[in-house]
Amino acid sequence: MVDQNQISIENRGELSILDITGDITSASEPFFAQAYKHPDVDGVGKILLKFDEGAYINSGGIAVLIQLLAETKRKAQKVGITGLSDHFKKIFHMVGITRFADIYASMDEALKAMG
Amino acid sequence: MVREADDRSIEIILPTKIGYERIAMDCSASFARYWGTVDERIEDLKTAVAEACLNAMEHGNKGRPEARVVVTLDLENGAIVVQVKDEGNGIPEIPADPDIQRKIQKLEPARGLGLFLIRNLMDQVELNRITEQGHTVRMTIRLQNPEPMS
Repeated sequence: MVDQNQISIENRGELSILDITGDITSASEPFFAQAYKHPDVDGVGKILLKFDEGAYINSGGIAVLIQLLAETKRKAQKVGITGLSDHFKKIFHMVGITRFADIYASMDEALKAMG
Repeated sequence: MVREADDRSIEIILPTKIGYERIAMDCSASFARYWGTVDERIEDLKTAVAEACLNAMEHGNKGRPEARVVVTLDLENGAIVVQVKDEGNGIPEIPADPDIQRKIQKLEPARGLGLFLIRNLMDQVELNRITEQGHTVRMTIRLQNPEPMS
């Protein structure tokens, strides 16, 4: 079963929080693309991606995230990520995602740093 | 090759259907847990098995739903050995490690991370084992002290 994603968007000034439910796979691409086009996300200076800690993330999903980071880099938007399990923190570090996004242990920590 | 059934081996046969790699992941995790593998290594195994199955479905079997992916798990010499077999001809060119900077700059495709993850998460990986039945990826994860759950 491949879950579809639901991405809810909350704005706090210059920070846009994308609360992402569901597994992150190549099937997530249209959901991320649609969320990123949202006017509350497109023009902000900072974006926080909040994942489900129990979510399945595969290489196709990481590729979708890299595509998003390519856009945020182009627009000089700062990106934070929270809600990752220890395993996926390790994977994101291994792949190099952490060179382009800061990973936070909790929502509180992310909001303190980015809010 | 005819495999002899024993109590240290299991075999999972999957159709080529994206999403079914989750079944192999869950079986692998259960097998590893049974043999006392620590949680961190179970997570490594799950990701490697998922990526090997996805590669087998997408590249080996080229998405043909009738083609099968056969996953075997064996406890051998204190290690879990996973073999993922597809009906393809192997990996013609082993890709270089991904360059995240180039991917961000869109100078190389964002995809193509599966083999990199497998090679970095497993203790030993053998690619391109070709037989008449197809192509097999063999992955090994060493256990510190394999003991079956009581």
